[in-house]
Amino acid sequence: MFLDRNHMFHAIAMYISMTTAIFLIFAYAPTDKMQGIVQKIFYFHVSSAITMFFAFFVVFVASIMYLWKSSDWWDAVALSAAEIGVVFCTLVLITGPIWGRPIWGTWWSWDPTLTLTLVLWLIYVAYLMLRIDAHDPKRARFAAILGVVGFVDVPLIRWSVEKWRTLHPKPVLIQEGGTTGIESSAMLLTFVVCLGAFLLLFFYLLWERTSIAQSRHSLEVLRQEIDDLLTR
Amino acid sequence: MMVHLEGVMKRFGAMTALRGIDLQLKRGCCLGIFGPNGAGKTTLLRILATLTRPSAGTVCIAGRDAVREAEKVRPLLGVLSHRTFLYGHLTARENLQFYGRLFGVKKLPERITEVLHVVGLETNSHQLVRTYSRGMQQRLAIARTILHYPTLLLLDEPYTSLDHHAISRLQELLLQLRSESCTIIMSTHDLHRGLDLCDEIAIQCRGKIVYSGPSLGIDIQGLEQLYSAYVW
Amino acid sequence: MSGSKLFIRQVLALLVKDLKTEWRTREIFTSMFVFAVLVIVVFNFAIGADPELIRQVVSGVVWVALLFATVLGLQRAGQMESEEDSLEGVLLALHDRSALFVAKMIAQMLYLVLVVVCSLPLCGIWFRIDFTACIGALGVVFVLGMLGLSIVGTLFSMIVLHTRAREVMLPMLFLPVSVPLTIAAVYATDQLIVGKSLRDITDYLTLIGIFDIVFLTLALMVFDYIVED
Repeated sequence: MFLDRNHMFHAIAMYISMTTAIFLIFAYAPTDKMQGIVQKIFYFHVSSAITMFFAFFVVFVASIMYLWKSSDWWDAVALSAAEIGVVFCTLVLITGPIWGRPIWGTWWSWDPTLTLTLVLWLIYVAYLMLRIDAHDPKRARFAAILGVVGFVDVPLIRWSVEKWRTLHPKPVLIQEGGTTGIESSAMLLTFVVCLGAFLLLFFYLLWERTSIAQSRHSLEVLRQEIDDLLTR
Repeated sequence: MMVHLEGVMKRFGAMTALRGIDLQLKRGCCLGIFGPNGAGKTTLLRILATLTRPSAGTVCIAGRDAVREAEKVRPLLGVLSHRTFLYGHLTARENLQFYGRLFGVKKLPERITEVLHVVGLETNSHQLVRTYSRGMQQRLAIARTILHYPTLLLLDEPYTSLDHHAISRLQELLLQLRSESCTIIMSTHDLHRGLDLCDEIAIQCRGKIVYSGPSLGIDIQGLEQLYSAYVW
Repeated sequence: MSGSKLFIRQVLALLVKDLKTEWRTREIFTSMFVFAVLVIVVFNFAIGADPELIRQVVSGVVWVALLFATVLGLQRAGQMESEEDSLEGVLLALHDRSALFVAKMIAQMLYLVLVVVCSLPLCGIWFRIDFTACIGALGVVFVLGMLGLSIVGTLFSMIVLHTRAREVMLPMLFLPVSVPLTIAAVYATDQLIVGKSLRDITDYLTLIGIFDIVFLTLALMVFDYIVED
């Protein structure tokens, strides 16, 4: 795998961008006046969130393509994107409270985006459980349906959670929400680089995971063919 | 040509159940499919019944593509399988009423009485199907199969669970239907009855039809010889 | 137009069959109703004796009870379906397979309506809330909400028919996806109880309405993929 040229370039680009991002975050971007050094986690938090949404969008598209074309490749893409999406989702749910505790004074504030992320985590973990649990070969099809349904639900969840949020007291300190105000162009640059690094990471992981899923499937097919030949 | 199959293949994940089936059957003909367990006879019948789609190949029934125009083909089919498709908490009459309404059978009450008479269940028709013996349930299933005047009968081992008397009744019924230009495809282990009824026979093994031809001039020994010659 | 006449006739035939079976066994409705009542009573103990507090949470309690009753009802229906194993017999006879979905959804909806009709008076008595003042508006909210629950629930119950851990998978799929419906329905009910009118909750009603339409459309589009082998 590592000998594949395209793959190697991708991997190198990813390593470089990640290293650059970390350097920028800690050495270049100015420390936020109000929040202090904790604010720096925001770069990871928001990048993870955006990557997570993107991952679930990929699941959505791949699920539709799978239902339409019945191609195993699309199924492998959907599964991989869902797994990676859940990982980034978990990162968002971890970095959120880490950021929130010193800023808001509480670990959790039922912020609309964070709540949406929590519900999405539940849905896509259910997606992964469905894949383990359902009988082949319907498994892939059911998961694809959930991949479509889950993503379509996102705007509805977002809307309802925002309305629901208006009932809860807001935290006393500072503004909260998906993004804090990006005050300087230095911060903006850092954020963009960080986001780029995360997306590169996502695509790399997606590529790798999809290859593994494809290989596994090919292995199964070969095994069956051998079985057939042997029993003749 | 009532039934025309070309190159029909069926894969379940990594397992291949049918490896290229070609079949042609004229209207009013009766085909008996023999073969060991696991040969794919049930899968073939299920594809003909539009319960499952082939992975490759074409299926034509009464001039219609059974995959693309499945809903037009279904009313022509009468399907009898291991499962009775009956509802235990309803009476025999209610079961037939249900299917009759689904199929839009005209003059339903009279037709129900008629088919119940044919299978010999008029006296028990107001009993819950749960209370029926396996043989009675199979007879009611036969009634259900012919209720909507199907032109193609697909029977998967129809003689199982039937006692001697019921088997002769079924045989009479099938012979009569055949004389009314009903096309019949049947898979069975009962060589006697199969040869009795069918004009054409086929032997299926490991997902392929290894022998097909008219049943004229073939007796039980002949069939057994063919069986041991072609089945391995 | 004969296409839709056929559709309606098939939906009715399926519905009559399901309701007849339910009438003879009464398994689904009884378990749903008893479970809903249990949830309400246990919540009552769990929350404590403060009547003001109870008044504030009653709409949440009712909808949680309905959510779990839906899950339970669907699981029983699914279990009976597996035992009968007659699904394919029906598929052989259907012109448009989504008729099956519509029939099951309507049946589930009817059971839910019955559960609400039976348990709401009990809530009124136990929590000392007068539902009759806003009964019409409440009816609208409940009907729209339960429609959504039935749609999503029936969709997932057909999916989990083929899974092994059915009891776990159904709530795992159903509850998170229904979050928008839960939020909107609880809030709308609450507002009606404290005396607001339908006009005040239009945005929540809109959310529920959109949820229903979106999921009904989705369900009808993907149902064929679920039942096909």
